Amino acid sequence: MEYYVAIGSIIGIHAMLGLSVYLVAISGQMSFGQQGFFALGAYLAGLSTALWGLHLLPALVLGVVVAAAVGLLVGFPALRVRGLYLAIATFGFGEIVRLAFLNVRYTRRIGDRVVGPNASEGFRHVRYIYDRGITPLEYLGIILLALVVVVILFYFLERSKLGAKLRAVEEDEVAASMIGINVTRVKVFGFTVAAGVAGLAGGLFIHYSSYIDHDMVALPLAIASVTYPIFGGLGSFVGPLLGAVALVGLTESLRTLHGAREFIYGALIILTMLFRPRGIVDEALVLRVKGWLPLRAARRPAPAP
Amino acid sequence: MSTVLLDGTEQLINGLMYGCFYALIGGGFTLLFGVLRRFNLAYGSTIMAGAYAGLIPVYLFNAPVLVLFVTTIVVSVLVGLLVEFCCFRFLRKGHELAPLMTTIGMLIVIDETIVYLTDAVGFKYPAPFGDESLALGPFLIRPDYLAILVVSVVSFSAIFYLLYRTRFGRAMRAVAERPDAAQILGVSVRHVNVLTFVLTSALAGIIGFFAAVSVGSARPEMAAWLTGKGLVVMVLGGLGSFPGAIVGGLALGVLEFEAVWFLGSSYRDILAFAILFLVLIVRPGGLLGTRTA
Repeated sequence: MEYYVAIGSIIGIHAMLGLSVYLVAISGQMSFGQQGFFALGAYLAGLSTALWGLHLLPALVLGVVVAAAVGLLVGFPALRVRGLYLAIATFGFGEIVRLAFLNVRYTRRIGDRVVGPNASEGFRHVRYIYDRGITPLEYLGIILLALVVVVILFYFLERSKLGAKLRAVEEDEVAASMIGINVTRVKVFGFTVAAGVAGLAGGLFIHYSSYIDHDMVALPLAIASVTYPIFGGLGSFVGPLLGAVALVGLTESLRTLHGAREFIYGALIILTMLFRPRGIVDEALVLRVKGWLPLRAARRPAPAP
Repeated sequence: MSTVLLDGTEQLINGLMYGCFYALIGGGFTLLFGVLRRFNLAYGSTIMAGAYAGLIPVYLFNAPVLVLFVTTIVVSVLVGLLVEFCCFRFLRKGHELAPLMTTIGMLIVIDETIVYLTDAVGFKYPAPFGDESLALGPFLIRPDYLAILVVSVVSFSAIFYLLYRTRFGRAMRAVAERPDAAQILGVSVRHVNVLTFVLTSALAGIIGFFAAVSVGSARPEMAAWLTGKGLVVMVLGGLGSFPGAIVGGLALGVLEFEAVWFLGSSYRDILAFAILFLVLIVRPGGLLGTRTA
């Protein structure tokens, strides 16, 4: 039981990371830097509860706000470049954050423990949920609640004018700007919200694991977060959710296979890209599913391509 | 001369020599990107696979270093061909992110295979150039860095000759410029792609050998580190510009060595990525690039 609660928590947190990358991806960009925002959210939320004695909710909010603010600051210059350039630029950003935390030391002695970001030692002893007697199962509930809030946000975003604008920018930036869309503003908006979501995931993570260090927010986490939406599909927010559930579930169920586990993971990514370059839930599938729902289709005619 | 100036100069020399090594890595990335217009994120893993495989004859038969060197190159080429076959050959056109993801998949596959086979342990590498520093006037110079300098100059000359003086080089540049037009004029794009993979993977073998020699062992962390540096150099010099990769590599080498000396080693990597980020934003075309993002 405990094991499944742990997997559920990881899936919830990673699903948020996947959604974060997805939101950047639907405006046609690819970010390999969401783990940087994840780290920012984690450190800020951890500091808030462990050192500043805040309640969990304001701590998470603070993590989200700081991550989103940095996202806004980074997004403005970074989104001038696109495609592969942006992928590298964002990865550079993620590494800067990681290496900065490798050098930051801000600790206080609480009881017999040294609490706070302690350079390469990492940030240990974020014991909020243990001290308050929150069980792992209850904490899983909190994670899933946060995920539901994010998913509802995405649900309405995709149906909003803003969602349509994001898709329009992905399709063709020049055409989008011709019909009066402020391309930069739309992209920076998406990037900022995405950063906030990654920050939320980070804040939830550090309280789940009680601990984070720079190694946990390195390239592998970037790859994992990008893999969920790309594997799951870029046609709808269901894609990254499916991707997170399927891939985290797969790696966990293959735990007994030891070395072969990651091997299968890698091979699966390659095969998916060869056969479904837009992921499992791609635009074609989304359209087909919408076709099965005649009521919806009748009420709202499909937009011209 | 004052000590600061003296130390600064010594670091400059070391930085230039080590920069040659960075230039090699960036050059490998750049050649592939220039021809295929796609990143090969499995390149670092290709390098690592070669470095590890080179040790097999040494550990089994106590083979000389030359055999190690050749094995490194041969295995790297084989792995490179595997990457081409799995990640690029059957990929549909028009999806920019798909090749990025397939090579990430390949990166995981190769890395995990090596970790599985070696239990993630570093293997000691022979030191063919000795470990005593050479004195050059008032400066101390590491012999393996000197070897890197020599090999880099030879490799770059060979690649320049290949690119600008041979039929294959012309075909490569044609494919890089306009693949469709090249195809119509009778250049086999697939042929050129495969040969580019062979060329860059052979380069990967050389890089792997020197990476392992300069660290003293083949290690599983190599792949990520090499990929990071390669991307920085490639962007610094301008995507797809081979001379740019050389300039970018030298610049990064000097900057890192000076930073270690004057700021401390913990700033070395952060500086590299800060530069990367700034260059991308201020000058997306890189130092020598003409193409804009």
